[in-house]
Amino acid sequence: MFGYVTPCKMEMKIKDYEKFKAYYCGLCNSIKKNFGNLPRLTLNYDMTFLAILLDSLSENKYNFIKFKCLIHPLKKRIMINNNEALDYAAFCNITLAYYKLMDDVYDNKTIKSKVFSIFLKNYLSKSEKVYNEVIDYTKEKLLLLNTLEVCHEGIVIDEHLSIDELSHVFADLTGFIISFYYKEADFENDLYWLGYNLGKWIYIIDAYDDLEKDIKSNSFNAINSLLNTDKLDFKSFSKCIKPRIDFLLATCAEQCLKYLNRLPLIKNEDILYNILELGLMEKMDKVLKMPY
Amino acid sequence: MENPYEILGVKEGTSKEDIKKAYRELAKKYHPDQYGDNPLKDLAEVKMRELNEAYDSLMKNSSSSSNNGSSSSYNSQSNSGFKPNDDYSSNNIYQSIRMDLNSGNIPSAEKKLSSMNTKTAEWNFLMGMVHLKKGWHDSAYTFISNACSQEPNNIEYRRSFNGLNTRTSNYRDNYYGRRGNDSGMGNMCLNLWCADTICECLGGDLISCC
Repeated sequence: MFGYVTPCKMEMKIKDYEKFKAYYCGLCNSIKKNFGNLPRLTLNYDMTFLAILLDSLSENKYNFIKFKCLIHPLKKRIMINNNEALDYAAFCNITLAYYKLMDDVYDNKTIKSKVFSIFLKNYLSKSEKVYNEVIDYTKEKLLLLNTLEVCHEGIVIDEHLSIDELSHVFADLTGFIISFYYKEADFENDLYWLGYNLGKWIYIIDAYDDLEKDIKSNSFNAINSLLNTDKLDFKSFSKCIKPRIDFLLATCAEQCLKYLNRLPLIKNEDILYNILELGLMEKMDKVLKMPY
Repeated sequence: MENPYEILGVKEGTSKEDIKKAYRELAKKYHPDQYGDNPLKDLAEVKMRELNEAYDSLMKNSSSSSNNGSSSSYNSQSNSGFKPNDDYSSNNIYQSIRMDLNSGNIPSAEKKLSSMNTKTAEWNFLMGMVHLKKGWHDSAYTFISNACSQEPNNIEYRRSFNGLNTRTSNYRDNYYGRRGNDSGMGNMCLNLWCADTICECLGGDLISCC
């Protein structure tokens, strides 16, 4: 589910790449500071993007500090410290990871998920009271998503549930999470739609990536369960549905870019454009296995 | 009302199944949706009404239990009523839906569209527009392409449909365009050197300094 929103390293300036890494390390550190060591395992690039996006709209100056990382001990690294956007991203990271795990628990009931989710629950209680609204909204939406998915686990395809309707739940959640940080701002609406389209993009590409695995294990897959009306096998189905998925993903990505253009960015523009213009496309190519 | 048996073209005493069959055949022929902007649409609507009334009365007369089942998709249209000025009022609704879309009142537009039974090309197009505004691109694509296939000559629908595809190809080209750039210079130098070498082999000289 996470790790699809990455930068296109090849087209990035080194200074921007270093800045991106500083945010990533900063996020890891923020999780440790606010929640604890164990939740750091849930760190991902998508939340780094969130931090960069939210920070780009604020006038705060950077606060770089050097530090030594336990996992990468060879070279001294730089990270961003004491950054509100990073703290909020850390919170979102834990929240989404926790509820994603709860999802897995319902689906697979693996012991690993259950144990980990119990751990995370304790950490979640450490979050700020202000963010309780986000927790409730996340809980509600992921529960709804789970319900809709479970209804379609069966063999019969319900023609009335479109892929847009199903992915809307997750997209709405990400839109909410992203725009919540700037609740009263003028650009809150543009932030919401950027988040909405990005969430939809993540949901669809994740479904397509898991297509083979889910068909084999006969588990729920948004694309398979809603669009595979002829019950084709993986190879033929993936080939036949690819143009439609490609259109959907490209449109979502293009919309993300459109709303990014509307935001009053103060810094980090190059990183954000790299991710939304090139990074998403690069990932799409990889997942859809388009010929170069 | 005229003799319902005559309207449906069946003999008195025909079984319910045959009445249903006859109704379906005639409904297929006279259903107003397939007439689009054709002036015969009004006549088709009137005929459709007659068919529905005849069917209803024959069904009611049969002693077996009433059915709301199979051909209800056409039946329900008779309940909503094909009034003679239906064409005029549906145009009015489309106008108000367009106004809703322009002013950003998507929920109202969607509600009005959902309450309509006839799925004309205009209905499909406006539904597509509503879904576009909601960010539901896959459904929007389906609706707009339906509108195009129902009315291939409509420029507005065609332009919207093409616009959807252009957006994504523009976005994609932005990424692909950057990747082939660096080979240009290198290739040119190599090509010139090869040309010069071959020229020298044959006795001439393309580039005198090497």
